[in-house]
Amino acid sequence: MNQIVSDEFQGATKYVLDQELAAIVNISMRLEMPLLLKGEPGTGKTMLAYAIAESLGMPLIVLNVKSSMKLVEALYQYDTLTRLNDSRFGDSKRDVSNINEYIKMGKIGQAFAADQRTVLLIDEIDKADTDFQDDMLDVLDQMQFDIIETDQTIKARHRPVIIITSNAKKDLSDPFLGRCNFHHIAFPDPKMMRKIIHVHFPDLDTKLADNAIKAFFSMRDITGIEKKPATRELINWIRALNADPDFRVKDLINGKLPFLGVLFKKSPDYEGAQNLTSRRRLF
Amino acid sequence: MFVKFFYTLKEVGIPVSPTAFLTLQKALYNGMVAGLDDFYTCARAILVKSERYFDLYDQVFAHYFEGVPLPEDAGFEVDAIARGLLEEWLKNPKKVADALGIDEEKLNKMSPDELIEYFKERLKDQEGRHDGGGKWIGTGGYSPVGHSGYHPGGMRVGGSSGGKSAVKVANERRYKDYSTAGPLTQANIGEALKRLRNLVPAGPKDQVNVDETIRETMRNAGEIELVFDRALKDRLKVILAIDNGGWSMDPHIDIVQTLFDYARAQFKEVKTYFFHNTIYDYVWEDPARYKKPKKIVEFTRNDPDTRLIIVGDASMAPYELMAHDGSIHISERSGRPSIQQLKFLAETFSHSVWLNPVPASMWGYTHTIMTISAIFPMFELSLDGLEKAVTKLMAKDTTPAV
Repeated sequence: MNQIVSDEFQGATKYVLDQELAAIVNISMRLEMPLLLKGEPGTGKTMLAYAIAESLGMPLIVLNVKSSMKLVEALYQYDTLTRLNDSRFGDSKRDVSNINEYIKMGKIGQAFAADQRTVLLIDEIDKADTDFQDDMLDVLDQMQFDIIETDQTIKARHRPVIIITSNAKKDLSDPFLGRCNFHHIAFPDPKMMRKIIHVHFPDLDTKLADNAIKAFFSMRDITGIEKKPATRELINWIRALNADPDFRVKDLINGKLPFLGVLFKKSPDYEGAQNLTSRRRLF
Repeated sequence: MFVKFFYTLKEVGIPVSPTAFLTLQKALYNGMVAGLDDFYTCARAILVKSERYFDLYDQVFAHYFEGVPLPEDAGFEVDAIARGLLEEWLKNPKKVADALGIDEEKLNKMSPDELIEYFKERLKDQEGRHDGGGKWIGTGGYSPVGHSGYHPGGMRVGGSSGGKSAVKVANERRYKDYSTAGPLTQANIGEALKRLRNLVPAGPKDQVNVDETIRETMRNAGEIELVFDRALKDRLKVILAIDNGGWSMDPHIDIVQTLFDYARAQFKEVKTYFFHNTIYDYVWEDPARYKKPKKIVEFTRNDPDTRLIIVGDASMAPYELMAHDGSIHISERSGRPSIQQLKFLAETFSHSVWLNPVPASMWGYTHTIMTISAIFPMFELSLDGLEKAVTKLMAKDTTPAV
């Protein structure tokens, strides 16, 4: 088991890792258990998988879960129509009598069949129904699945590093939880946010960064906001502020906040924020 | 190792499984855990599977490794304190009002139940704003209010009681916000209502039915015959009736608003109506209950498969429900008491529920809640209740509960 863990996860170029999370990622890798990440949108759940893949130099395979998805689609697909067509017209190079020619690997199948160890990100598992989740965990537990059509068993050549994300407040089913490790990523505090911003904008003026972050957190606190701006919005906002030649840091300090549309995507939120900032300017 | 730790976690109500404990042992045995800090993170990742229990975990951790006293009954701490506050309030209103910084006049107008709810809100509020405020309230064991009656110098709501020092991280109790059931947010409601749908084939026939295609092709002696089906779409009809009148619903407006917003986004066919306290001859399409009345009898025109969700606190004077002229609006006195109308609705729509923002533990105290819950299956407007309600609404053979 130890030869797999040649490398410890240390964080990647664009990802700021807190120590706690690093420890959890490493222990999950060594225990060979999937890591389930929860947390509000914008806390970098998905980014973590990218960062792990980058820092360990492993290819990343992303399975975006959809509500209508069946487990088999994530494992493999048997292209019956093409085969039917080929058998009828016989003008393709494929061998119709060989079913294997019509079997395509799904994302989990790809991760199992890959030549090297991969990072498998199963994004937004909560979108699928519970049966999907439980069945999938069986597959990931046993690290193998059967292709019914050919009666083959596909075994994982290398156990992938599995990261599962969920946005749901609701808990997943018990058997599911029993098989993964769990971490909840809290929204970064201002200090952490400063580090994150620094990673994305190494040359950014500290005064601008400080004030933008301050304004950002005070805007997250506005009551009645339906969708709070997250890290992604802040990064885009700073990008916008940076790109505007007329913008001065002084404006932020004076409570003048341009480009609110970058932060607030819902129109009532946008209006609410605008009202509040313009009112604040009067005082 | 740490068997007692494991059982303490179990005792306080964190669902920990033996398998997970064995995994932890494996991690320890293989030397993956270096030091107490590592143990804190790893044991949590392996044993605790929901952020709701992170706070309890922190408390147990601090207890086990540093001897910080455990709360006696963690689940009820806010309740207990709120009740303690109420008792204190009855004895000496001014002291409590001053201690909490609230207006005595305003509180005087409230009933005991409302006071308890109000105190709870206040307590939660203070936690929110008080950074690292685990000791403020809710840490049962050494919380000054309500439990032990220990309050020298007035209400020492925020005072420390000389508890022992603790593992710093665990005792900061950073996950307190996640620990209680919490208010319903849009995401919460979305999650709970997700299962509320009824898939029927609709739209263009654009999905290949492979089995049928193969069968037809065979029948056609190998000449390919493609068979298409319609895709499955959600066609569930929902009627949402909301009690938006009267001061009794005021504390719940936020939560109901969230439910309403979500329902609008989620269902294509949702009709929303408003009523005051209970339903008589009409409900209204406009929140002001003035412009667009709709007669209850006309509801029979709707598909009986429609899901009826009524949201209200079901709290009113008994005569409003029972009397022939119970309505406070003079124009709608048809002579049928509200209870008849409710029964009529329950008969019309076999899939119906009543969601009540009043906590279920309080239902027994209000006569009309009991009466109405005999007509409609009643659920608490919380994540749990909502889920149960959805299960009820989607059940195959619901007989009208009359």
